[in-house]
Amino acid sequence: MRNTVILVAAIVLLASLVVSAQETIAVYTTLFEPTARLLFDAFEEDTGIKVEWVRLSGGEAVARLDAERRNPQVSIWFGGVGLDHMTAKNMGLTEAYVSPNAENIPVQFRDPEHYWIGIYVGALGFISNQNRLAELGIDPPTSWYDLIQPELKGEIQIANPGSSGTSYNFIATLVQLWGEEDAFEYLKEFHKNVQQYTRSGNAPNPAAGLGECAVGIGYAHDQVTVIQEGYPVNITFAEEGTGYEVASISLVKGGKQMEAAKKLYDWGLTERAAILLASTNVVPLIDVPLMEGAVPISSINVIDQDDLWAASQKERLVEKWNNEVYRQR
Amino acid sequence: MGGNPAIKGEISVATETRRRRKPALGAKSWWQLRQDPVLLITLIIISVSLFLFIVYPLYKVFVLSVKPKGLFSLEAYHYIFTQWWLRQSFFNSLLLGSLTATASTVVGFIFAFALNRTDMDGKGFFRQIVQLPLVSPPFMFTLSVILLLGKNGLITKKLLGLANFNIYGLKGLVLVQTVSMFPIAYMTLNGVMQGINPDLEEGALDLGASRFGVFRTITLPLSIPGLASSWLLVFVTSLADFANPMVLGGTFEVLSVQAYLQFTGFFNAPRGTALAITLLIPAMIAFLVQRYWVSKKSYVTVTGKPSGVRTLEVNPRLRRALLAFCSAVTLVILAFYGTVIMGAFVDTWGVNFKPTLKHWIYAWDVGYYSIKSTVLLALIATPITGLLGMVIAFVLVRKDFPGKRLLGLVSMLAFAVPGTVVGIGYILAFNEPPLLLSGTAAIIVLCFVFREVPVGIESGVASLVQIDKSIEEASTNLGASTGYTFGQITLPLIRPAFLAGLFFAFTRSMTAVSAIIFLVTARWHHLTVLTLSQTEIMRLGAASVLSLILIVIVLFAFAIMRVVVGDTVKHQLRG
Repeated sequence: MRNTVILVAAIVLLASLVVSAQETIAVYTTLFEPTARLLFDAFEEDTGIKVEWVRLSGGEAVARLDAERRNPQVSIWFGGVGLDHMTAKNMGLTEAYVSPNAENIPVQFRDPEHYWIGIYVGALGFISNQNRLAELGIDPPTSWYDLIQPELKGEIQIANPGSSGTSYNFIATLVQLWGEEDAFEYLKEFHKNVQQYTRSGNAPNPAAGLGECAVGIGYAHDQVTVIQEGYPVNITFAEEGTGYEVASISLVKGGKQMEAAKKLYDWGLTERAAILLASTNVVPLIDVPLMEGAVPISSINVIDQDDLWAASQKERLVEKWNNEVYRQR
Repeated sequence: MGGNPAIKGEISVATETRRRRKPALGAKSWWQLRQDPVLLITLIIISVSLFLFIVYPLYKVFVLSVKPKGLFSLEAYHYIFTQWWLRQSFFNSLLLGSLTATASTVVGFIFAFALNRTDMDGKGFFRQIVQLPLVSPPFMFTLSVILLLGKNGLITKKLLGLANFNIYGLKGLVLVQTVSMFPIAYMTLNGVMQGINPDLEEGALDLGASRFGVFRTITLPLSIPGLASSWLLVFVTSLADFANPMVLGGTFEVLSVQAYLQFTGFFNAPRGTALAITLLIPAMIAFLVQRYWVSKKSYVTVTGKPSGVRTLEVNPRLRRALLAFCSAVTLVILAFYGTVIMGAFVDTWGVNFKPTLKHWIYAWDVGYYSIKSTVLLALIATPITGLLGMVIAFVLVRKDFPGKRLLGLVSMLAFAVPGTVVGIGYILAFNEPPLLLSGTAAIIVLCFVFREVPVGIESGVASLVQIDKSIEEASTNLGASTGYTFGQITLPLIRPAFLAGLFFAFTRSMTAVSAIIFLVTARWHHLTVLTLSQTEIMRLGAASVLSLILIVIVLFAFAIMRVVVGDTVKHQLRG
C-alpha cells in the first residue's frame, strides 16, 4: 500500500514535469482524424507552432468545454457544425474575434458578432447502396417524398436528432421547407421506413456502404469518403431543397494560449488551408479546385437556412419529435 | 457496525468444515484501532483516496443535478421521471442487465466448472479462448457482429439466406454483452473453484454420493459467493455499458446512452447527471442484496491442512456435453475475432476481399504514438488497481472497523456509474487548484484505478471468504505484523483473485472509451479513441489493425502477469 502511494505520487510529479521547449497550442477539433492531421501538420510547418489536438464529436466538444469552463484546457475549437458553435456561443463558452482574414469568407457564413466563422460547407445528401436498391427494384431517391415509399420500409438509417446535429439539421430543414405541422406529418410517415436511429450523424453512411440499409441520410462530404473506400453507393440530393452544415472555428473564452490560437484561426481562413481541406473531399468556403466526386454547394438546391432560428428551437423540436414521432413504434 | 453477521446467520451449507470464529473484538472503535497502526494507516489512506477520487467527483456531478443554475431544484429529476422514453429506458436497462448477468453467470459457471472440476479434453485451449472477449475493443466487436449477423451479414444473409434478420435490439445486445462479459463471471468463479478443497468432493464420492449429488450439495453451494459476485459485476457492467447499446441498440433505448445524449446532444448536464444517479439505484440495491445474502453463510474450505488439487473424473456423457457447450461458445468467439483478423488483411471490408497489408502501414503511421501512451497508462494503472483491490478486499473481509459497510459501498460506486458521468465528474473535480490534474496522465490513471478496482475487490472478497482465518491468525500469533501477514500469507492464497483483478484492470484500461473521451489530451492519447475515429471515417481496415494490435498487447501482458504472479494456488496448499 505504501508503495502504491509512492507510485501515485511519482506519477503525478512526473506527468507535471513534462515540459516542452517548442511553442505549442492545445486544440479540440471536430474534423475527421486524417483531415486534422493534414491541416495541423501543415500549420506547424508554416509557423513552427506545434498543435496538440484532441478529436471530439461536436456534442462532446461542447460538453467538455462546458465542464472545463472555469479553467479552460484549450484556446480554440476547430471544426464542427455551426449549430454547435452557436450553442457554445449562447452558453458563453467562446470569445469574439475579428480575424484579418475573415474577409475571405462569404458574409452569410460569418457570425455577425464575430464569435464563430465558417470554413467549409456540406449539404445533406442521400447515400444509397446500389445492390440493395437493385434488389428492391427502385432508383436512388431524389426527393424527400421518395423516402416514404413503402418499398423502403425498414431500409433507411439516420441519426437520432437528440444526439446528432446532422439529424437535427434534417428536421430543421423540413420545418423550414414546409412549416412545422406538415413537416411532422411527414416525419411520422418517414419513421415507418427507418430501420435504426444511430448515435453519430455519420453512422448511416458506412451502413449504406455495407448494405446494412438501402439508404442513409448524412452529409455529402462524408458520403464521398464511402465511395472512395470502394463501396458501391450513389449520392443524391432532394430536389425540393436540402439543408447544409457550416463547419466552423471559435476561440475559447479564457484560453491561455490566445496568441497562438489567433494565429491558427487566421491560418484556417487562408487559401492554403482551403486547398488542404478540399483534398479531403469537403467544399471550402474559399474558392479552390475541388476533389473529383465532391459536390459544390452551388450545384445543389439548398434552402435558405436560418441556423440562429434552428439553434433556438432545438430543444423544443427534438422533444416534440421524441413524443410525437419516435414514440409511435 | 454490529458483530460479524456470519455468526448470527444460520449455517446451512452442508459441507462447511468449521464454524467461523467469533472475532476477538466485536466492533472495534477507532481508538482500539490504534493498537494496529498498519491497519489504521491503511484504512486512512484507503478512505481518503476513495473519498477524493470517487465520492468527490461524483458529488460534484450530483450537485450539478440538483443545483442546475446555482439554486436547489429537482427539475431535472422531475423531468426524467415524467418523460416516457426515459422511464422506458430505465426499465430497459434493468431488463438487459438482468438477462445479461444471468446468461453470463451461467456460461461463466459452466466454463469454470468444466475447466477446474472435470477431465474434459482441451482445457488448456479453452482457458486461453475464454479470456479473448475480455480484450474485445469497443465498437470493433459490435461491428463484426453486424458484419456477421446484420441485415446484410455474412452468416445471416449469405449463408442462411435470411432476408430480414434483425440483430438490433434486446436479443442482439444480450448476445453481444453475454459473449463479451461472461469472462468476468468466469474469472471470478475460476478463483472460487480453485479455492474449493477437492477433498470435500472426493470424500463425498468415497462415501457413496453420486457425481451429481456432489455437485448439488458441495460444488454449487460453495460457489454461491462467486456466483453472486459474478452476477453483480456483470449486471453493473451491463448497466454502465455504452458502446454496445449505442451501436446495436436499434430502438431499444437504455439509460447509459440516454445520459450520454443529455450531455452531448442537449448540453443538459443536470439531466444527464440525474439519469446517471437514477442508474446507481438498482446497482446499489443489487450490491447490498448480494453482500447481505452472501455474508450470512460461511464458505470456508481452505483450512491450511494439506490437500491436493485434483480433477475428478466425470461420466463421459456429461464430459461430451460440456465439451460441446464450450466448443459452441468458442466457435462464436472465434467467428467474431476471425472477422476482425480478416478485416485487417483485406482491401475493403465487406466488399473487396483482396488481401493487402496497406492498413498495417497506415495504422502504424497514425497509431504509433497512441499505442505507446495507451500501454504506458495501462501499465501504471494495473498494479495499483490490483493491489488496492486486494487490500480493500482484505480489510473488508478480515478486519472490523467503524464504517466498513460504507467503505464497501463507496468502492463500488465508480464502477456502476456510466463512464461519461465519471469523465465529467473528474473534469469538474480536478480542473482547478489545489487538485489541478486535468491534462495530465495522472487523471487518466486515477480514473482507471478507481473505476476498475471493484472487480479486484469482488474477486478478492469471494476468495477470502473461502479461506479460514486461522491461517492468518497463526501468522499473527507468531508475531508477524498485519502488513507482513497480508503480503506473505493472504496475497499468495488469493492469487487467482489477484490475477483476475490485474487482468481486468489492464484490459479495461486498454479498452476504456466513454470515461476517458473527456480526459484524453494530445500528449496522453488513447488507442480506443483513435479506433473509434477510424471507424467513423470508414477506415474499417485500419480500425481492425488497431484492434488486433490491442488484442495482441493485452494477451502478451496476460502471459507475463501469469508468469510473474503465478496461476494457481497449488503449491501453497501442498504445504
